[in-house]
Amino acid sequence: MVTALARIGDFGLFCVRVGRSTFRHRPPIARSIEEAYHIGFRSLPILLVISAFVGTNLALQGYNAFVPLGGQRLVGMFIALAGVRELAPIMVASMVAAKAGTEMASQIAVMRIQEQIDALEVMAIDPHWYLVVPRFVGICLVLPALTMISIFTLVLASYLVSVYQLGLNGPEFIQLASATTRPVDLWYCVLKAFAFGIVICLVSCYYGFTTRPGPSGVGRATNAAVVVSAVVCSLLNYVMSEILFG
Amino acid sequence: MTVREPPDPIIRMVDLHKRFGELVVLDGVTFGIPRGLTTVLLGPSGTGKSVLIKHIVGLLEPDSGEVWVDDVRVDTASVRQQYAVRKRFGMMFQNGALFDNLTAGENVEFPLRYHTSHNAAKRRKIAEEKLALVELPEVYDRPTSALSGGQRKRVSLARAIVLEPDVVLFDEPNSGLDPLTSSTVDALISRMKDQLGITFVVITHDIVQALAIGDWIGMLSGGELVEYGPREDFLKSESDVVRGFLARNHTV
Ligand SMILES: Nc1ncnc2c1ncn2[C@@H]1O[C@H](COP(=O)(O)OP(=O)(O)OP(=O)(O)O)[C@@H](O)[C@H]1O
Ligand SMILES: [Mg+2]
Repeated sequence: MVTALARIGDFGLFCVRVGRSTFRHRPPIARSIEEAYHIGFRSLPILLVISAFVGTNLALQGYNAFVPLGGQRLVGMFIALAGVRELAPIMVASMVAAKAGTEMASQIAVMRIQEQIDALEVMAIDPHWYLVVPRFVGICLVLPALTMISIFTLVLASYLVSVYQLGLNGPEFIQLASATTRPVDLWYCVLKAFAFGIVICLVSCYYGFTTRPGPSGVGRATNAAVVVSAVVCSLLNYVMSEILFG
Repeated sequence: MTVREPPDPIIRMVDLHKRFGELVVLDGVTFGIPRGLTTVLLGPSGTGKSVLIKHIVGLLEPDSGEVWVDDVRVDTASVRQQYAVRKRFGMMFQNGALFDNLTAGENVEFPLRYHTSHNAAKRRKIAEEKLALVELPEVYDRPTSALSGGQRKRVSLARAIVLEPDVVLFDEPNSGLDPLTSSTVDALISRMKDQLGITFVVITHDIVQALAIGDWIGMLSGGELVEYGPREDFLKSESDVVRGFLARNHTV
């Protein structure tokens, strides 16, 4: 319990350092864009596949749920509520945590145990600025975009299943789905994506920086990074949905 | 046990204590490092030699005691002050600490990129000069992962001196090097000391190297400095640990 509290305090301190580093020096723009590209590009294929097939299954289950009630027309609305507002943002966050987050944690952990972070310090280069800020900017740039792509893919896949497999009325699906998704809902999804990006980046980098020595330390840091970011993002998702969508 | 005071210390440590949990690593270390000379710290593996030099540049904070570089107290300094002090230092880490995603040359010019306004061509020229100095003239474009252990160390040395610092810290410059490369590194240190007036602090458990380059030599054991002074005085030490180390060197 005491160690858990100490850990949280330590994490807070880490966040403050990153915050200070962000504003103390000019952000490394080229490296941030590189990171964004890297994170986005790496996560995109798997994201497309998973979003599409979550979309198909949402349509199937929505249909199953609504048929006994005679409301199978409402599948479009169901997709908009469950898929767009809830599933897409957290799904993207989990995937990015699993791919980009673990990579951040393990890269930084290796640099820590090989004394590369100490080397940066001795060269009078702030390691928080050099290592965390570009990843932070990169993930904040790319996560909202990935979320939008995921939403589009999910809706498209569920539309195709609804219309061509389940025989629902296409224009009606679109009309209900778009009536349920207000433009502001998409903005809320962007907001969620930002929040998740910040959590994933800070948590993963923190575990990297504070790794124990040795290869087992790197493994543990990587593991903890993905578990903690996924848990925190899920909690945050609940809280944000409660506040934003009521 | 004799610990001498150098006449014009650039670095001073006063009653330094450091422990990790239960493990007491430094137990009251007080000494000064003479300006413009080479100081060698000897000690068996795991006695806290690396821990000691990390205190000089503020990579570790002492539990108690003081660390001074000229008139800046490093251990309590602000981040900004610490960075200002670090710009006067170069450091070679025990296993190189090169950045794997950069080439050898990019590693060497890394500090130039952040602390000078030289353009790319100028940076490359300086980096190649330093690589030539450590007798690796042709590795500039080689990825770091393709270097041998000894080459990595020498690239790391080139990086440590690229900004022409006042003080260079070496953590085991020749562990893992063959005797020939090792004496090259020794010669390099002596030459740079004479030509550039750099203060060297070298950590090693190699007594041959210590005697080859050390103007001042110290022996760290059991968390304390058991012997420290100019080379001639060190050789006359009565301490068992020192005699034990010296006995292993047949040339003495
Ligand atoms: N960050 C740390 N956390 C916990 N213990 C540490 C840490 N750094 C060093 N130690 C411990 O402190 C002791 C001294 O370590 P140090 O690396 O200074 O030894 P050394 O004299 O440099 O040895 P070697 O010649 O093998 O490099 C060791 O027992 C090491 O396990
Ligand atoms: Mg060591």
